Amino acid sequence: MLGPAIAWYLVVGCTIFAIGAAGVMLRRNPLIMLLSLELMLNGANLVLIAFARRHGSLDGQVFALAIMAVAAAEVVVGLGLVVAMARRKIEIDVDLLSRLRK
Amino acid sequence: MIAACAWICLLAPLAAVLVIALGGNRLSRCAAGYLATGSTVIAFAAAVTALLSTLGHSASQRQTVTTAFGLIETHALSIKLALLADPISLVMMLVVSGVGSLIIAYSIGYMKGEGEERRYFAYIAFFVFSMLLLVEAANFFILLVGWGLVGLSSYLLIGFWHERPSAVAAAKKAFIINAVGDAAMALSLFLLIQHAHTLDFAGVFGQAVSLGENSWLINLVAAGLLLGAIAKSAQIPLHTWLPDAMEGPTPVSALIHAATMVTAGVYLIVRTYPLFEQAPHVQQTAAGLGAVTLLATGLVALVQTDIKRVIAYSTMSQIGYMFLAAGIGAYGAAMFHLVTHAFFKALLFLAAGVVIHALGGEQDMRKMGGLRKRMPRTFIAMLIGTGALAGLPLLSGFFSKDAILAAAVSGGIFDKLLFAAGIAGVLLTALYSFRLLFLVFSGEESELVRKSLAKHKGPEGPRWMTVPVGLLALLAVAGGWMQIAGLWHPFSTFLEVTAPTFAYEPSALREWLLSAVSVGITLGGIWIAWAIYSARTQQVPRAPKALVEKLYFDRAYDRVFYRPAVWLAQRLGSWFERPVIERSGEEIGLGALGGGRISAAIQNGLARTYVLLVAAGASLIVLLFLVLR
Repeated sequence: MLGPAIAWYLVVGCTIFAIGAAGVMLRRNPLIMLLSLELMLNGANLVLIAFARRHGSLDGQVFALAIMAVAAAEVVVGLGLVVAMARRKIEIDVDLLSRLRK
Repeated sequence: MIAACAWICLLAPLAAVLVIALGGNRLSRCAAGYLATGSTVIAFAAAVTALLSTLGHSASQRQTVTTAFGLIETHALSIKLALLADPISLVMMLVVSGVGSLIIAYSIGYMKGEGEERRYFAYIAFFVFSMLLLVEAANFFILLVGWGLVGLSSYLLIGFWHERPSAVAAAKKAFIINAVGDAAMALSLFLLIQHAHTLDFAGVFGQAVSLGENSWLINLVAAGLLLGAIAKSAQIPLHTWLPDAMEGPTPVSALIHAATMVTAGVYLIVRTYPLFEQAPHVQQTAAGLGAVTLLATGLVALVQTDIKRVIAYSTMSQIGYMFLAAGIGAYGAAMFHLVTHAFFKALLFLAAGVVIHALGGEQDMRKMGGLRKRMPRTFIAMLIGTGALAGLPLLSGFFSKDAILAAAVSGGIFDKLLFAAGIAGVLLTALYSFRLLFLVFSGEESELVRKSLAKHKGPEGPRWMTVPVGLLALLAVAGGWMQIAGLWHPFSTFLEVTAPTFAYEPSALREWLLSAVSVGITLGGIWIAWAIYSARTQQVPRAPKALVEKLYFDRAYDRVFYRPAVWLAQRLGSWFERPVIERSGEEIGLGALGGGRISAAIQNGLARTYVLLVAAGASLIVLLFLVLR
């Protein structure tokens, strides 16, 4: 067994995840929200890889790779939205984008 | 070789259906007709090839089973998509594709300018495919599939003129009555699965004797099959749909409701004879119902005024003969009459179609008359068909009907009764068939005829119509020469492998004597018809009310089934549906509306709130897992 015990990895992963979740919930700037989302995903990735290592199987790593691919795709969509907002001179604030309520 | 031909025969019409259906407007109307005709001709050629190669084998080797793939494979039951080419199915394939191609060619002329010809030709090619599937099936499952599909295509074609309410009603009637028979058949197939563990013909018939030890079981199975046969073949008591089915176009009546589909019941009994042999009472019931039908419908045919309905009633009557023959075990005779009947009945319908076509769609015989001079060739065709139907010597019906009567006369007391009914039927047949001929063709020209044909010169109909009529007339004359009592009988010898004759073999002398008697009766009947309807030396007798009312069957079914069902439906509507179902629908709707208002409050459009809710929900679930672990 190399490196610290798995508990440390889990603590770090969960902390990153919680920071990301707080960012998504509290910030109104979509750029920061996307950033926080990435934090959440990577927190999850860290946990997955830690478990993969502990169990000596590749499954968790495969998952992590898949999550990275999804994250990349999601950022493309998210940034696309931000660019579209900027082009239309909409203020960069997600709380103003609430028209779907009606 | 035989296997390939069987598949080509089956699939050629299906290919035509697909091309016409998918081609849509890209196909001209004529092209659809040519395609349907061509595919049926290909099917016929394949059937002929299969017949020739089958004849090359010795008599005991004449059954070819070809399997495409398994449809249902379990450890207890295996059902395959398999075709069987043996003497009975070959005969049926030849009749279906041969008569079918003539009739479809005829409809190119008959349906011209109809507007929806593509649909018509797709349907009728689909019918040919379904009928071929029915007769080529190698197990009961495929048989039932074909059985259902011919019912479907019959429904579609009866209701072809869908803007006519009476046609739609007739189509529904045919479908529903046939569904009764289909259901009965399906039930007996379930019994077979339960007790014989197979649906293959060979497998089931091999176990027929051991199944027969349980008399309840075998009687139920045979009764279910018989009910299916009765519904499809329009025998009493499930016969009322056939006269109404005449709402369809005339070629449809000729192909489906005279030559092929309605004789499927006879085919079924002949095909499954090992089961019927084990259930003699059910088989006698079949013969008895046949006898009753041939008399009752023959009587009703005497008073009908619609030309197609007369022929429809005569169809039921003739199928009654076939049921009689199949019921006493004379399977060869039943199949023989089936074949000749297909020829002369198709001829009668098509000739009647020429008349109807020339008179602009009029079907009432009282408005016709004196057509002999105007349409001499149609008259000759009709005379041949009528003569064959009545059993005049040397025409096809003469040989086949006498074969049935001869088989009946040789049996016991029950068979003697059936024979008496058959002989009475001969008189009725002569009367109603020549009544039709005289009413339409002899006497003074009626007003309608003069008006419709005043400027009419040249041929009596389009070539597409007259040529098939001529060919069928040839067949109606020569079709009976396949089998001449006492001299030669290649037909029943060919069928012997799959449909052996169990009835007493009558001696040739007896058969000839019998023929003389029945010809005498036929001539008497013709003379009576001539005196009443042509020479008019006798007063036309007043039709008894019971016959005009078609023996009250429709009324009885109306009272017994239709009205109680309508009453029940109305009561259920007012007592149950409106208070319970409709009101509960309202209540559920109002409840959903109220709930929606509450949950709409959460929906404030702020993405952050949603994220918060998701996070809260996820945490809740995690907590729950931790607590409840």
